[in-house]
Amino acid sequence: MSERKTIIEMQQLMLRYPTGKVALSGINLTIEQGQFVYLTGESGAGKSSLLRMFYGGLRPSSGQLQVQKTDIRTAGEASVRAVRRRTGIVFQDHRLLFSRTVFENVALPLRVQGWNNERLIPRVRKVLEFVRLDDRLWSYPEALSGGEQQRIAIARAMVATPAVILADEPTGNLDEDTARHVLDLLMELNKMGTTVIMATHDLHLLNSHPGRVVQLHAGALVEDSHATR
Amino acid sequence: MQPDNVRIHLPGGMNMPPFGVHQYLALIIVAVSLWALGSGWMGLQATGQWVGTWQQQMVLHVYLPQEHKKELKALQEGLQAVDGVGQVEYMAREDSAKWMRQWLGNSALDVQTLSERLPETLLVRLLDDEAGQFVADDIREVAERRHALINEDEVALLGMREVLDKVEVLAWFVSTLLALAMALIVSNTLRMILLARANEVHLMRLLGAKEWFVRMPFVLEGVTLGAGAGLLAWLLLWPWVWGSSEWLEGSMVELHVGILFLPLLIGGALLGCVGALIATARLVSPDSVVES
Repeated sequence: MSERKTIIEMQQLMLRYPTGKVALSGINLTIEQGQFVYLTGESGAGKSSLLRMFYGGLRPSSGQLQVQKTDIRTAGEASVRAVRRRTGIVFQDHRLLFSRTVFENVALPLRVQGWNNERLIPRVRKVLEFVRLDDRLWSYPEALSGGEQQRIAIARAMVATPAVILADEPTGNLDEDTARHVLDLLMELNKMGTTVIMATHDLHLLNSHPGRVVQLHAGALVEDSHATR
Repeated sequence: MQPDNVRIHLPGGMNMPPFGVHQYLALIIVAVSLWALGSGWMGLQATGQWVGTWQQQMVLHVYLPQEHKKELKALQEGLQAVDGVGQVEYMAREDSAKWMRQWLGNSALDVQTLSERLPETLLVRLLDDEAGQFVADDIREVAERRHALINEDEVALLGMREVLDKVEVLAWFVSTLLALAMALIVSNTLRMILLARANEVHLMRLLGAKEWFVRMPFVLEGVTLGAGAGLLAWLLLWPWVWGSSEWLEGSMVELHVGILFLPLLIGGALLGCVGALIATARLVSPDSVVES
């Protein structure tokens, strides 16, 4: 059996906000490449804070956090930027640019990485085919439904073939059917080898889409299922 | 296939965003300010030329009343001995009267009667324009010693260069203030645009964009706005030249608007760049990379 590569590792991780509030404390967790991890817990449990630390949006106050071999606590700007380029992020409010076309939204990560237009178009078309929205390439996001907008956000997250996709409550604003479709896409990506870490409180989705469940409560890790798919 | 009516316009890097109402408004305001500056400098150029031309032909008139006529020779010799004086000519009273009659429009004036009342006149040509004011003081001293008078209006005009130097210093001061104001106008405009595009900037940073990549479009926009305003200001100077061409020709002034082209264009671009740098100096996103 081949040994899986560790993609995220943390030890005694603690996060204290400048206000003094402790958001996370004493977290020990290892996430291996190719896993599908659900971060669950009540509102304010620390799920979003933990996700933000995975792309360098927040720095740990103490403890260790290695993301894709980068020590987030001490990493310089260039290292954090490199982590972000290898990470896809999906937000609950999808954060699409409404003044730009679907193509421009999805192409943005590649543009940041210096791709030219000739290479961009086929790549964007391919990922939009994957999320089954290739017919909306030149539409504006406001013309799309909530589910379609979230699929565009997934397309944007996966377009640069990142090693990890972080999804913060991606199904939070969607009805059950649409949420299931969005999760299907994330599962499909995971089967292709991408590590997916998803913060959610829609626990009923876990029955149809199993994965490793990491439960947080008041900033502490209270359960880790280590479930295998 | 990409539809014909869709133009790909990706943000960041060397891609400048399209101009909107705010940018055009700022361009007009900056252009008007630059035009005012250019007009001021052009006016200074014209005055400088006019004064220069006038000083090259400069003669000071020294008048000796009839009752002291016997001192004329001594006065002429005294004036000739003054440092800075080139030539001292006697102007016959009849010639003065003729000139005066011509000046009065050939009126039926009795030249003989008039000439008898005129003082003796000496024309003193100066050698060095720069030292004119000091030479005038010496000429006045010699003239007063011989009961003669110097034309003080002509002496006052000699001081024009000194005044012009002061005006030039003032023009630099006003130019600096206006430049600062224009940089702030550009900066405010870009700041508004930046706030409107805050989501885009934030997203690019989340995707790992480098800082130059995020800021460059705004700097390019500032430079284009400033350079465009400079060009427009330069073009707007031409109506001045055309409108005053007759007067300028009469005053022997030839304006060189061409020399203001590069200062306005480069100055405008520089101002736009400074404005953009001010606007983007504190461009903070919630998840900006912060060194620990």
